[in-house]
Amino acid sequence: MMSGAPAVRVSIESSCERQVQEVSLDGLETYAPPLSMSQNLAKLAQRIDFGQSSDEDEDGPERDSREQWSKPEAEEDEGMVKFQPSLWPWDSVRNNLRSSLTEMCVLHDVLSVLKDKKYMTLDPVSQDPSVGKTPQVFQLLSKKKSLATAAQLLLRGAEKLTKSVVENQEQRRQRDFNSELLRLRSQWKLRKVGDKILGDLSYRSAGSMFPHHGTFEVIKNTDLDLDKKIPDDYCPLNVQIPSELEGSAYIKVSIQKQSPDIGDLGTVNLFRRQAKAKPGSQMWHLKLEAAQNVLLCKEIFAQLSREAVQIKSQIPHIVVKNQIISQPFPGLQLSISLCHSTGEKKNQRASPDKSKPDDHLYVLEHNLHQLIREFHKQTLSSVVMPHPASAPFSHKRLRMAGPMAYDKAEISSLQQSEGLLEKIIKQAKHIFLRSRTARTIDSLASRIEDPQIQAHWSNINDVYESSVKVLITSQGYEQICKSIQLQLNIGVEQIRVVHRDGRVITLSHQEQELQDFLLSQMSQHQVHAVQQLAKVMGWHVLSFSNHVGLGPIESIGNASAITVASPNGEYAISVRNGPESGCKVLVQFPRSQAKELPKSDVVQDGKWTHLRGPYKEVHWGRMEGRNFVYKMELLMAALTPCP
Amino acid sequence: MGVTCVCQVPVSEGKSVQQTVDILHKKLEQLGAVKQGNFWVDCETYHATGNATGQPSKLLYVMHNSETPLSCMALFEGGPGLSADANFDVLMVKLKSHFQNAKGHKVESRGVRYRYCDFLVKIGTVAMSSSARGISVEVEYCACVIPGDCWNLMKEFMQSFLGSNTPELPTVFTSKAEGLSVPVDCMDTMSQYLELFGRVRKQQVLPGSGVR
Amino acid sequence: MEAPPVSVMPVTGGAINMMEYLLQGSVLDQSLESLLHRLRGLCDNMEPESFADHELVYLLKGQQGNPFLLRARRSLLHPPAPWHLRYLGQPEVGDKSRLALVRNCVDVSASHGLPEVLNEMGFRMDHEFVAKGQLFRKGGMKVVVSKLSRVLVPGNTENTEPLSLSYLVELSVLAPAGQDTVSEDMRSFAEQLKPLVHLEKIDPKRLM
Repeated sequence: MMSGAPAVRVSIESSCERQVQEVSLDGLETYAPPLSMSQNLAKLAQRIDFGQSSDEDEDGPERDSREQWSKPEAEEDEGMVKFQPSLWPWDSVRNNLRSSLTEMCVLHDVLSVLKDKKYMTLDPVSQDPSVGKTPQVFQLLSKKKSLATAAQLLLRGAEKLTKSVVENQEQRRQRDFNSELLRLRSQWKLRKVGDKILGDLSYRSAGSMFPHHGTFEVIKNTDLDLDKKIPDDYCPLNVQIPSELEGSAYIKVSIQKQSPDIGDLGTVNLFRRQAKAKPGSQMWHLKLEAAQNVLLCKEIFAQLSREAVQIKSQIPHIVVKNQIISQPFPGLQLSISLCHSTGEKKNQRASPDKSKPDDHLYVLEHNLHQLIREFHKQTLSSVVMPHPASAPFSHKRLRMAGPMAYDKAEISSLQQSEGLLEKIIKQAKHIFLRSRTARTIDSLASRIEDPQIQAHWSNINDVYESSVKVLITSQGYEQICKSIQLQLNIGVEQIRVVHRDGRVITLSHQEQELQDFLLSQMSQHQVHAVQQLAKVMGWHVLSFSNHVGLGPIESIGNASAITVASPNGEYAISVRNGPESGCKVLVQFPRSQAKELPKSDVVQDGKWTHLRGPYKEVHWGRMEGRNFVYKMELLMAALTPCP
Repeated sequence: MGVTCVCQVPVSEGKSVQQTVDILHKKLEQLGAVKQGNFWVDCETYHATGNATGQPSKLLYVMHNSETPLSCMALFEGGPGLSADANFDVLMVKLKSHFQNAKGHKVESRGVRYRYCDFLVKIGTVAMSSSARGISVEVEYCACVIPGDCWNLMKEFMQSFLGSNTPELPTVFTSKAEGLSVPVDCMDTMSQYLELFGRVRKQQVLPGSGVR
Repeated sequence: MEAPPVSVMPVTGGAINMMEYLLQGSVLDQSLESLLHRLRGLCDNMEPESFADHELVYLLKGQQGNPFLLRARRSLLHPPAPWHLRYLGQPEVGDKSRLALVRNCVDVSASHGLPEVLNEMGFRMDHEFVAKGQLFRKGGMKVVVSKLSRVLVPGNTENTEPLSLSYLVELSVLAPAGQDTVSEDMRSFAEQLKPLVHLEKIDPKRLM
């Protein structure tokens, strides 16, 4: 029982309602005298029907009547347990009240017993004196311990969680490594040796005979900090390439004027281009490709230097460190160098002539790559496979050379005629000759306006041969004067010129020869133009010579001359044109127009005055007209009087 | 490779081998032939050792020709022959316990090579153990491989500088079962040389030939 | 077209002493396909080369010692190809740890008059057989997978019967004397064929 709880006052009072015996006329109520104890008991006892149980239903009216009586009596009487038959609608109420009565009675009994203090006493509960007075340290320690236990539990749980997360990540990374490995394997040759995964980046499976092993190793990239964010270019796979193949390389082929100083050779180490990273390609792919390129460049250079040393040529090739120098033409040098940069910072000696424009012949570098791949392909062709199978590997026709008794001509046709170096030198010579020819023609075209020189280069050409069609024309008269058309076939060392009239001339590589030849053709063109013009204008050609033997000797070619007469025969024009001496135009007038005519006794008749007589030179420079043929046309027109 | 005819030219009276060769050279040069290097043909003899029966063992001849530098011909006189690559010599070295090389019997013919349009004329001095024994002349018509088609032309050409020493159609061609219309082989040339060398071997040493 | 580089030129001159390094093994008919697949992947990238050869083994019985053995082989698929004559010396009795069988080898290619000349020289044909199969190549190494068949009627190569239900696999390299790295390369290549076929050094003397 709690002390201090708000008490609920339960008032219990007897209803004290006595039966009204009678009501006097003056309103006085006379109450029936209350029943005494014994009378009450007797009355109640009469009511008990011992023949009936308490649960049985009773008759209605009986019940009702009893109900009226029992209720007040139940309230009056305390401490008496009554056997009552259950009264249905008020049963629960009665039961509740009865139970509360029981409780109250018990309480009353206990209190009354307690009052006596003889058989029961109230005693407060003894408290532990230490509880209220525990020191702070102990509190702290206990709190700490409990916290520690809780924390340990939590930590264990967290550990399990992180372990599972890490395992998942690890698995994912493992799967990533495997998928990367799959991608690597789809492009590169791999094999497992022990517990290492090795790969082959050499060209041996494509037919190369280079003795480099070209092995790379595939390693797992485990230097990943899980806490930090995974970088974007993170790759779980890494490749380790041999140290001599690191970095990138290319072969530089260039033609320069022969350098007087030979001491600077072998230091070509210009490096100016970086491999462009293709989007989506992994780092290992780039690394492997770069290493493979370095290997191929090394093979090309090794082959070239081997040939440079072995093959005898008129002017020996110089092989210095990473450069091969040879002389294709006098005064020129061709240098082929292997430029290998290991990607270190620029602590290399800068090339002295950095300001020179890049004369790297990319075409030749590409051709070198193609040639070496062609070479690889040859070793893989089935021509090498022996039939019968026990014979050694060799070219099919070479194997037959012995038994079939091939003579020297047949054998030499089988042997390798040219190595890589010879081919590249030939190609370089051709490129140089072609560019020089173009330059010559262009410089002439820009320098000389009359006549005009046109060059039509053919689109399709060979590595060793190109061709160009050169036309010499006069502006405005292209249809008339087209007799000089030259087809130039530029070879490796010579230029072959085919003239329209069928002559074939072979020019050497000297620049001056071509220039002189073109100049002489241009001078011939002028005279040819006069001939064509005469046809159109109706003038008659009296004489024509491509190479006149008279007059001053030209140092380049020969002078040409032509004489044309007007339609009516009165006038004649003589032209002499030479490459150096320029053109000289003379007009022949009829005798009648001559100022001083020598009197002669023989020629008396007047009709002789119509013949052509003395010559007079034309001041050609002062003639009107934009070019020679135009001037000539004007002259002819002027000398043709209108009818 | 064309039709080849090998014949032996006797040494002129009162002249040495070298002088006869020089006369032939002059004749060819007058004809308009151009010198084109040298040539040599050699022949080594092997005989089988340890023949159980008393029969003379067949002789195996291994020949080389500078015209076919990668080849080596092995033939039996009047019998089968084969052409092989140069390793056959190595094989013969391995077989030395079974086949002995009769070194003293090595015969070779060396000389100058002339070219006259489509004809190739080789005039060689046949020597055995460095003593000149005779003169061999080989004429090859490079434009044709059927002996029947070009024999007349070859005979006429040979008459122009060999005169009376012009040979008849070599038996190598006539003895072939298929006749003269079968293409020639390098073995035909070598057989002719073998015959010539055989004759030279049987000849006695020429008087006044001296050391080459 | 260029001839291949020096290392695969035919052996000429006779001054070089060539040695053949050999490893042999065999594989049952059922497992042939997987072996061919594996070889196709490991060897040089070429179309697989089939061959059919007819080999005749000639013996020359001398007075003393062992008979001299020569092998003459011709191709049935390419009849105009020259014959191949081969002499194999005794296996080099070097250290036991030598990984492959090494013996002196002389290879001669000859014209079609070979059998008659050999007969004339005193050689007698001991036996002949037909070998059919495929040929692979890796660098200088040659892998020959062949089925050997017995010739029932001498000289008739159409009528043959297989000698066994398996294929003979041979890995061989022809190299000048004195190169030791060759057997190492052969061994590492043989390792890669390991579960399918075991290539090992088989001493012919032990089989006699």
